[in-house]
Amino acid sequence: MAVEVQGVSLGYGGAPVLDRVSFSAPTGTTVSVLGPNGGGKTTLFRALVGELSPIAGSLAARGRPAYVAQTERTRLDFPVSALDVALMGSLAGGRWWLPARGSDRRGARSALGRVGLGAEANTRFGELSGGQRQRVLIARALVQDAEVLLLDEPLTGVDRASAEHIEELFGELRSEGRTLLVSTHDMDSARRCDLVLCLNRRQVAFGAPGEVLGRETLEQTYGSEIVMLDEPGQPARAIAVGHHHH
Amino acid sequence: MLCVTLNPPPSPLELLELRPVAFALAELGLLAVAGGLLGAWVVLRRLAFFTHAAGTATFPGLVVAEAAAFSPRIAALAVALGFAGGVERAGRRGRDPGDVATALLLVAALAGGAVLASDVFESGAAVDRLLFGTAVGLDGGDLLLSGAACLLAVGACLAFGRAWTATGFDPDGVPSLGVPASRSDLLLLITIAVAVVAALPAVGALLVSSIFVVPAAIARLFSKSVGTLVRTAIFVAGAQGALGLYLALWLDVPPGPAVSVLGATGYAACALVRGIRLREPSVQRVEAAA
Repeated sequence: MAVEVQGVSLGYGGAPVLDRVSFSAPTGTTVSVLGPNGGGKTTLFRALVGELSPIAGSLAARGRPAYVAQTERTRLDFPVSALDVALMGSLAGGRWWLPARGSDRRGARSALGRVGLGAEANTRFGELSGGQRQRVLIARALVQDAEVLLLDEPLTGVDRASAEHIEELFGELRSEGRTLLVSTHDMDSARRCDLVLCLNRRQVAFGAPGEVLGRETLEQTYGSEIVMLDEPGQPARAIAVGHHHH
Repeated sequence: MLCVTLNPPPSPLELLELRPVAFALAELGLLAVAGGLLGAWVVLRRLAFFTHAAGTATFPGLVVAEAAAFSPRIAALAVALGFAGGVERAGRRGRDPGDVATALLLVAALAGGAVLASDVFESGAAVDRLLFGTAVGLDGGDLLLSGAACLLAVGACLAFGRAWTATGFDPDGVPSLGVPASRSDLLLLITIAVAVVAALPAVGALLVSSIFVVPAAIARLFSKSVGTLVRTAIFVAGAQGALGLYLALWLDVPPGPAVSVLGATGYAACALVRGIRLREPSVQRVEAAA
């Protein structure tokens, strides 16, 4: 297993904000993590990168997972190019106190090429579109060469072309044996994943999309933040309406 | 009617033959390197308030040092290091070391210093020394401290510059890169605090921003990379220090204020130029395309 979480409870010094979570993600799979804001998705990711210790239970991930933040959480005014950002992935090599090597730079350029942004290497990060910025952050994770990628709402606010590019890239990463945990509010995107984990301050459900994405589970996961779009003879469809757009 | 008579400008080479002037120039040169280097991250990491406060917070240390006939440099360093540690610890949960923590600790330091100066030791000289400093009138010890601060700044920036940039750019993503963000941020604050204390004899606490903030702020207006920002900030700090010292000697005014006024004027002029450039249609088109 690439990710193994057993009976984990997480918090920030007070009561747990995420309670009793148990799931495992096999190598080369994509797990969609669904839940409302404050449901515990980011908290789970923070624990998986080792930033937060569990109150109870245990968790393990293969290697050091790469965390791909929402681009709005980055400082867009920084004087850094797409190449500079991708190159930050080389800090994970364990020699972060030394200058970047030529091989690091070549790796960063190659990663940018892979996400379709080789021509934008010298463009300032803040001048790229939202989708391009997201791809640069994924390039940083590629430079990091992580076996597990934690992606925080990677398709939120992203243009259609970038979204298609990112989803194609996810397929390639899976075929390379990398495991992806993707937090999202998009039910259609979740339906295309191998597994779905539903969180709402606790684990509501975990399993294959066909088993998990039913009306009852989604209502337990999102509460009043969801509108069901029922169509006779079709799988349950819903729109999460409470999530914030950055 | 006010009548101002200007002396003819002195020869720079003749001025340099005067030992206090040579010391002042060397001091401002060392501070330009430290200030330009660290200033880049002071501006990027929004630490201008901390930088200003680190100098001012040394007040109680200077009062006690004067009363106890103890080294003011060591006392100021001790207080500044404690201040840096306190700000890092209190602001650890924030995206950048917290302004609120800085403000609270600064108020505590100033209140403690005021009580010590007025009710315990009845000291006034420490206040003058802290606030204003003087670049002309430095001794070898001041140069030595600035040299050490300069070396520390160079070493810290070489080793931690990438980590400081990554932490400031994406604080959420840095833990997954294995960078010890808290420790590298603490080192940034400590290095700034040491350099600020080294600058106090030359420019004083009130004007320390003219070395550590203004040159980098000017450079920030035109820099598209961190490397360019650092190099430009060092150049601006050096030019501003040398020209400010020359003007001070020519016009017979204190060097600290002369350097500061020059820096502020330079920033205003550069911001104006940048503003005009951004209004030009060709620049607008490029920005829109980006």
